Amino acid sequence: MKRYVMYIAVLAAVLAALPAEGRAATAEENYQFYCAQCHGTGGRGDGPNAVESQPVSPRDHTSAVAMNKLTDEDIINAIEGGGAATSKSVLMPPFGKTLTKAEVVELKDYLRKLCKCKGK
Amino acid sequence: MSSAKTVSVLFLTVALSLICSGPANAGVADGRRVFEAKKCGSCHQSVGPAAEKTIKDQLAKKGPELWYAGSKFRPGFLEGWLANPKPIRPLQYNSVTKKNDGGHARLNTAEATDVAAYLMSLTSNEVRPSNIQPGDNPRGKRVFITKVACYGCHELNSRGKVVGGLSGPSLVGASRRLNVDWVFAYLTNPQVFKPVKDMPNYVGIIDKKEMADLAAYVTGLE
Repeated sequence: MKRYVMYIAVLAAVLAALPAEGRAATAEENYQFYCAQCHGTGGRGDGPNAVESQPVSPRDHTSAVAMNKLTDEDIINAIEGGGAATSKSVLMPPFGKTLTKAEVVELKDYLRKLCKCKGK
Repeated sequence: MSSAKTVSVLFLTVALSLICSGPANAGVADGRRVFEAKKCGSCHQSVGPAAEKTIKDQLAKKGPELWYAGSKFRPGFLEGWLANPKPIRPLQYNSVTKKNDGGHARLNTAEATDVAAYLMSLTSNEVRPSNIQPGDNPRGKRVFITKVACYGCHELNSRGKVVGGLSGPSLVGASRRLNVDWVFAYLTNPQVFKPVKDMPNYVGIIDKKEMADLAAYVTGLE
């Protein structure tokens, strides 16, 4: 058991020491790069694409009331398939061919941290 | 044909080709010199291929890559823009918070002509003639508006009013700026040009026919 724990610790240390380009993007990096354009850097739905001429406003990811209505699966489907896949506005684009499944799940966890909620 | 006539024809052909190609080549070489003297390469990548692998790599870039500029831009656009640069992106490059107030270096007319000639000599073999005709393509418009909502991130002129999101390059006047073949190649094979970009990858989401229609519509936008 001790040896197993040591292997894990060594692996974690090696991963932490890897240069950034050797690792996948963190959920925070992905959020700021892809999502902040519409949802804002703080997730309040106030990114630069939230202009008056748009027919709908981006979701406020910090709103526990709004985000609690969604299951984890709803969030994952919305990220992967966009609004069209979830009967919402097509202004939410699909990222299923851009992000890996693991990145999408990590983004879902990131959104749960932003809203401080667990969902349905 | 006598040998004297053959020599004359050959001489004339060589002379004409020198007259025709000389100034253009000089423009490319002079443009490259201006590009290097003004250190344009400190913000713009002029030699391909794309090397970025991570978001950090992309965010480290200070300006759009130009190593395929000759495939991307329509002839004549760069000369005018370099002499009188106006923001194409509403926001600063790689920023979602800072407004682009302009400030790009302005070149004099001769420099602009030479640098444009140099940049237009930088092409990508991945951009091939597609026979797509730019214009008010109704199928492309449907993709742009109702299927993938490109206006969420890109401005366009709609009935005399500029509408749309601000995070992507504006598409107002795209008909004068963008080569339809490049737009099609960018949509169908994005990793060649921008392996890491904040625009989603639409390969596998819309098909090639839809991408062709979309490229036609985008490059028809006034």
